[in-house]
Amino acid sequence: MRLAELQTRMRQALLTGGSPDLELLALLADPPPQRERRLAVYRNNVRHALLSVLDAAFPVVRALIGADCFSATALVLIAQRPPRAPALYAYGGELPGFLADFAPLAELPWLADVARLEWARNAALFAADREPLGPDRLATVPAAGLPGLRLGLHPSAWLHESPWPIHAIWDAHQPGGGALEAVDLARAEIVLVWRHGGAVRQRSPGPGESALLAAFALECPLAEAVEMAAARDPDFDLSAVLARLLADGVLTYPN
Amino acid sequence: MSLAHNRAAIPAQAGIGLRHPHLPAFLAAPQPAAWLEIHSENYLAPGGPRLAALERLRGDYPLSCHGVGLSLGSAEGLDEAHLARLRALYDRLEPELVSEHLAWSTAPDGTFLADLLPLPYTDEALDTVAAHVGRAQEALGRRLLVENPSTYLRFREADWDEAGFLNELVRRTGCGLLLDVNNLYVSAANGGDDPLAALERLPLAAVGEIHIAGHARVATPVGELLIDDHGSTVAEPVWTLLRTVLARTGPRPVLVEWDTNIPELPVLLAEAARAEFHLREVDDAVG
Repeated sequence: MRLAELQTRMRQALLTGGSPDLELLALLADPPPQRERRLAVYRNNVRHALLSVLDAAFPVVRALIGADCFSATALVLIAQRPPRAPALYAYGGELPGFLADFAPLAELPWLADVARLEWARNAALFAADREPLGPDRLATVPAAGLPGLRLGLHPSAWLHESPWPIHAIWDAHQPGGGALEAVDLARAEIVLVWRHGGAVRQRSPGPGESALLAAFALECPLAEAVEMAAARDPDFDLSAVLARLLADGVLTYPN
Repeated sequence: MSLAHNRAAIPAQAGIGLRHPHLPAFLAAPQPAAWLEIHSENYLAPGGPRLAALERLRGDYPLSCHGVGLSLGSAEGLDEAHLARLRALYDRLEPELVSEHLAWSTAPDGTFLADLLPLPYTDEALDTVAAHVGRAQEALGRRLLVENPSTYLRFREADWDEAGFLNELVRRTGCGLLLDVNNLYVSAANGGDDPLAALERLPLAAVGEIHIAGHARVATPVGELLIDDHGSTVAEPVWTLLRTVLARTGPRPVLVEWDTNIPELPVLLAEAARAEFHLREVDDAVG
């Protein structure tokens, strides 16, 4: 058998269950049942390696549905959408979308958004390095230039307006966090994730700040961004919000 | 083709595989490891604190970069984008050694299987791996060390045994050998062979680095298998085999790997200290 066909057959045998590939088994030097057992070592290795990656990236989703249910769900994802590149830090980004369409977990409609949040935290850890804009840098901009100033978000930043309280659900799984039972599942929540000083940080901004950040992400001029923020929140306090964002290292100049 | 031969820069002493849980200890204080090895694929992300930590440590320790994803044995060619990412990382870190595995992990459809899968030792596989080693050495601008794999199965069809395959690979490509003594022991045990007989036939003059690690003994309904899980201390027969290897090769850089159930750093450093002791035995015998 040509090497390419052997590798295609092994890929199938290692990733999916189903009936044994007798043509593949016939290539192995050992007799049955040893050869099946030996092939199974590789199947276990592959599954264990990929499950470990997903376990590490989605600890809260795993806690919410239980380790066994998480493993069973993850194995379906692994069989259907295995990694496409030899860089496992980037494997797992498809889990949120997969959960959203996964019928067995349809009664937990907020689960996919919790997974999105966990994936954003993972991505923030590995995002490109970029010097954030400090409060002192902005002070050098002449007042006349402020309305036209374009700001951007740090490469690690992720902003999401969820119909579910995903920040509170996540927080309830952290040491010293709130109680899961106390979370009002009917409440919508906005989450901001970013990396600052080598650590991934997360908080829940208000609607005005969210509109401002969304405008920054589109590289709108400051005056336009403030208008959008004020439209969402009539009490929007630009100087307080901007001071906090700058102190927290969320902002940069756009590319 | 001109290749950078950096072998001299990694000392013939004991190093350890640098794993994320031990980064804080290394950043806080110098640790008694003669050199460090990383898994290249763990540092391919665009940025972040791990890469920053490695760049800080890189100035203080000789560094070996051990690739676990290039898939030299893939039938459908090397992933050029991955080669380019590795090249960028190596240009940034300037490692003294660069290594890969005699294995495949990317299937013909591009699926990455996250394991070092076995090759049939056929002429077709040899042509494939030799072409890929040549291409990788060219694209990376560095000589590769290729590691002998731990294997749990063998294919009926074979034009070579593993030692013969590796000899021919070294001859054709000029690559070096990363001799994993634990893999040698595990594969021989799983295949019902004598590791010493295999050792005699390996291209020992090409050994640029040695690996040791722990393995697990797993009872199955069809007999015992040794699993190369890097999850415990090095087994006594592997230490014995290491001493035999060092007596043949002379002092070489020896790396202790530990990847699952990662212990506190002192446990790993104690394993490296024992490897260092065996290296000095050889030094004394030679000197």
